[in-house]
Amino acid sequence: MPQEEAHRLQVLLDLNILDTAHEERFDRITRMAARLFDVPVALVSLIDADRQWFKSRVGVTMDTTDRANSFCTHTILQAGVMVVEDACRDERFAASPFVTEAGVRFYAGHPLAAPDGSRIGTVCILDRSPRALDDAQRTLLRDLAGMVSNEIAASELRRRHQQRQENDAWVHGLLSHIPDGVLMLDSSGTVLCANPAAEQMFGTRAGAGALAGRAAASLLGEDAALLFAPSHRADAPPQEGGGRRIDGTVFPLEVQVAPMDMDGQQRYAVIVRDVTRQHDLTLRGRATEERRRKHFTTATHELRTPMASILGFSELLLKRDFDPATSRELLDIIHRQASRLVDLINQLLDLARIEAGGIEGLAIAPVDVAELVRQTLSGLNGLQQGHRIRVELDDGLPMVAADASKLQQALTNIVSNSIKYSSEGSLIDIGASSLRHDGRPMVAIRVADRGIGMTADQQARIFDAFYRAGESQDVQGSGLGMTIFKEIIELHGGHADIVSQPGAGTTVTVWLPAEASHG
Amino acid sequence: MDKTILIVEDQDDLRLLVRLSLKSLGRVLLASSAAQGLAMVRAEKPDLVTLDVWLGNGDSGLDVCRAIKADPATSHVKVLLLSACGQQSDVEAGLDAGADHYMIKPFSPQGLGEAAAALLAAA
Repeated sequence: MPQEEAHRLQVLLDLNILDTAHEERFDRITRMAARLFDVPVALVSLIDADRQWFKSRVGVTMDTTDRANSFCTHTILQAGVMVVEDACRDERFAASPFVTEAGVRFYAGHPLAAPDGSRIGTVCILDRSPRALDDAQRTLLRDLAGMVSNEIAASELRRRHQQRQENDAWVHGLLSHIPDGVLMLDSSGTVLCANPAAEQMFGTRAGAGALAGRAAASLLGEDAALLFAPSHRADAPPQEGGGRRIDGTVFPLEVQVAPMDMDGQQRYAVIVRDVTRQHDLTLRGRATEERRRKHFTTATHELRTPMASILGFSELLLKRDFDPATSRELLDIIHRQASRLVDLINQLLDLARIEAGGIEGLAIAPVDVAELVRQTLSGLNGLQQGHRIRVELDDGLPMVAADASKLQQALTNIVSNSIKYSSEGSLIDIGASSLRHDGRPMVAIRVADRGIGMTADQQARIFDAFYRAGESQDVQGSGLGMTIFKEIIELHGGHADIVSQPGAGTTVTVWLPAEASHG
Repeated sequence: MDKTILIVEDQDDLRLLVRLSLKSLGRVLLASSAAQGLAMVRAEKPDLVTLDVWLGNGDSGLDVCRAIKADPATSHVKVLLLSACGQQSDVEAGLDAGADHYMIKPFSPQGLGEAAAALLAAA
């Protein structure tokens, strides 16, 4: 297929006119042609790859015929009117079925020009008897072809307009709804227009066009000027900077700039993204990292301290001679510090396990609070030194959804603190009641002692790992009990209140969500 | 002349351990807090101070060390830091504070005795 023919076919295809419905604006032209020339057949024929298709027809019933041997195929090869006065005497057509079977003797046609000039078809008239066409008639046929070409051009224009409107609606919809801010700047860095996300980001009312006319530098910061340097690549990764809202407040922002050419004018497409949230996450991540690092340092320190006693005193015992009483004293220290080391390691492993396991690490089942308290106290039997423990539980306490052994561990930690930090024989109250707290049914477990109590400063640090109120050496403990306690309670969706007065005692209240089926 | 050694350590067991490690080197004084330690350094002008770094109540042996070294009356006192903080950065922080020696817990009593003897010999 010659290149010209391929192009012609593409133009015809792009016009989207083939196989469309008949239209009055074309039909009125073929009717007029038939009447003016007094012929039985007038056609608007479009020449497809291997057929001719009639957009409008007078005097024939079929919409399409073979392209081979057709008159119109020849018409589109030349610029002006083609006339075949008597097809029987024209060797090109004498044998054509249009002549031998359909009985066509006369044909006159003029090419139809697409907007780009491609000859996509014809306006033609046919008759069953030979005829001639004078100059005036040729002009008339050319004018009719011009009218059809105009109609084709008009529909093409309409179609393109509609398409542009659809495109515009699509682009507008997209720009209105994407969460990224989009700005267009002129070559001096002044905002020409902005999408609603950008208006909102900088604190102007969306749709009000309040950003238009402002200098980009006042919004994106002076650093943004670099983005407009000729050396800046459009495919460079987004740059972080400080955005400034029109009320003067600042926020972290990510900005990307692409130079663009719009009808010969230098413009910049700017995408801005508010990265406040990502920044907060990064900061929180750093804080967590710092806490972990500190925890590690403290844990190492706490492990080395009992090791110093164990290693040091055992070396002394091995290398020197002590009297039996001193030897026994040193062995006692070694034993005590070794126990402390084991306790510390167990607690550290416990805390790590609880932290790593999260909620998935809990074996959740309905737990009876009365049974939980009973188990906790029986586990603590060895620790009590004549303390009186008074238990008062409300009737009909709801169950709590919990990991019974973890909860017992948490409760053990606070009850054992009460025992450790109050004098022998003093009273410890344990109570449980069902209450609404923050609008939710909760179970409150209270442990109140009459011990040494804590200052406000001590209370503020009580949940810190390795913190021990008063750092009293005469009270055993790893300094992890309350940290583990808090971790466990929070994993269960609960929390704890502490009320304490130095010299008066401490009350810890554990709030746990009651199981829904019982609440 | 008999040398004087001051041990500043808040943990009873460790204070005893250091005392037993050093008692053959001279007269041994004991302090269990930063404030007490600093007061005794000024009053007694010992030849050597062994100083714990984490002294409880948030007090730091590094501050005590800096105070000793900043005061012309006590800057000649040898300071041996004894700490359970064993990272390179901890050691550097200790030496930056002016310490003459940094020893990590756990330590060998014999090793501590040798280090202390070396510092006293140089004093």
